[in-house]
Amino acid sequence: MSEPKIIGFLCNWCSYRGADAAGMARMKYPPNVKIIRVPCSGRISPELVLRSLREGADGVMVLGCHIGDCHYATGNHRTAKRMPVLKKLLEYAGIDPERLHINWVSAAEGERFATVMKDFTEKISALPPFVETMR
Amino acid sequence: MIGYENVLTTCPYCGTGCALHLEVMDNNLVGVLPAKNHVVSQGSLCIKGWNVHAFVNHPDRLKTPLIRKDGVLEEATWDEALKLVADKLAAIKAESGPDSVAFLTSAKCTNEENYLVQKLARAVIGTNNVDHCGRL
Amino acid sequence: MTARVTALREVIEKVLPEVDGVLALRSGPGGIVAPYLFGKEHPEELAKLAIWPKEPVPEPLKVILRAHPDAKLAIVCRGCEERGIVELFKHAQLSLNNVTLIGLQCERSEAEFCRCAKPFTVHAKTFVGEPLEGVTDSLTERIAAMSQPEKLAFWKDEFEHCIKCYGCRTICPQCFCNVCALEDETWVETGRLPMPNPSMYHLVRAMHMTAKCVACRECEETCPADIPMAVHFRLMARDVKEMFKYEPGAVMEQKPPQLLVLEEGEYERTGLPH
Repeated sequence: MSEPKIIGFLCNWCSYRGADAAGMARMKYPPNVKIIRVPCSGRISPELVLRSLREGADGVMVLGCHIGDCHYATGNHRTAKRMPVLKKLLEYAGIDPERLHINWVSAAEGERFATVMKDFTEKISALPPFVETMR
Repeated sequence: MIGYENVLTTCPYCGTGCALHLEVMDNNLVGVLPAKNHVVSQGSLCIKGWNVHAFVNHPDRLKTPLIRKDGVLEEATWDEALKLVADKLAAIKAESGPDSVAFLTSAKCTNEENYLVQKLARAVIGTNNVDHCGRL
Repeated sequence: MTARVTALREVIEKVLPEVDGVLALRSGPGGIVAPYLFGKEHPEELAKLAIWPKEPVPEPLKVILRAHPDAKLAIVCRGCEERGIVELFKHAQLSLNNVTLIGLQCERSEAEFCRCAKPFTVHAKTFVGEPLEGVTDSLTERIAAMSQPEKLAFWKDEFEHCIKCYGCRTICPQCFCNVCALEDETWVETGRLPMPNPSMYHLVRAMHMTAKCVACRECEETCPADIPMAVHFRLMARDVKEMFKYEPGAVMEQKPPQLLVLEEGEYERTGLPH
């Protein structure tokens, strides 16, 4: 599809600052990701991801701190437990599990942030719009 | 003395007649369990059936008749309420004829109660205007 | 009375004088079966002891213990019900200090009816019947083998029959939340049938059953639309077993993964990027 709609849940302490770093260094990456800042990636419940898809997002990203670097010590452990199980559920329900992307981006990794955005946007662009698959 | 019981009963809500158990703990209604080997419900219930226990002791349940006086609902006796309804129905019938009155009854009532409503409509008031909530 | 029910009755009669009540199934008015608390004051009531159809007995146990925390109780439970009781214990919903488990092993026909992999108890010290091997769940295998578009079409068709009775949630022995996410309008739209595609209710429920479902199949049995939603729960139970080495109700001392931080080696099994 030409203009995919992607929702990105970014944690305040690492990935959101990584996005800031990319921005300050004027790095280019596609504008399709609408970023929502949350205190910790562990906050992202499966309901939020499912609701994003239900509302018409073609892809959802959950970006947190690297394991061991979470601002709340073990918040991203919850992400690491819940999100892989959700990916499996999407697969069992007939939804492409690639539409959900989980990754870890630190505050210093501006360039890596841009790469992650670019790669995921490209991957989702190759898929049909989510609402069409649900008809 | 532990008072745990499952009381078999029929759901009061619609005409299907699903059986269910009211779960009672020390004289308090705590929940509903379906009746798995009952011929009608076969262990299933609709959302109303699952929540039959909720209305029994609900604080919003009417305990006395209420009559609106000066825009405010006030408690009244059965005699007062019945006299008011009878007087008003008679007045409307006299002024605008029996077909100006309609009776709306409920699938939640028993067959016997519904028989009485249509008897009231046809024999007392003199109208055929009888229907019930299931048709809405 | 079959030999099995007679054997169970004998076991119960031995335990009855020592406890405040034995929770088992009784054939009530019209032959309708329901959970019943047999007491030592009326041992003759055991003439009405029943074992099929099975009922979700962990919930009555929780209700009784909440009202009478010091009661000494015995409960007749099959493999799945025992797992359900253990899981409720792990989530602090009941105490097992004064509870005696009386196991009831399932017969072949019962295991096949529930497509059960573990139709036997593991914790109960006394039990009736011979533990059998599990049965392959052919329905789950068939659905798991479908292609992505086939799965999508299958579940869309199934969920379209849902009447939102919330029966699967209400009957589930594991569901104890006072405030249920499925009753939150943010996640599950009200006033709308048939279910939208994807069905938020069913997917959110499946996520909440992760590492909790004990495969008792009460949800499927109560569903008025015969939706096989337990297939999702069972498929995810396999992933939970692989990623977190956890099986609900299996090991008493093992804490559920959602209450812990990542253990050694778990991250590698999640498939997340390094």
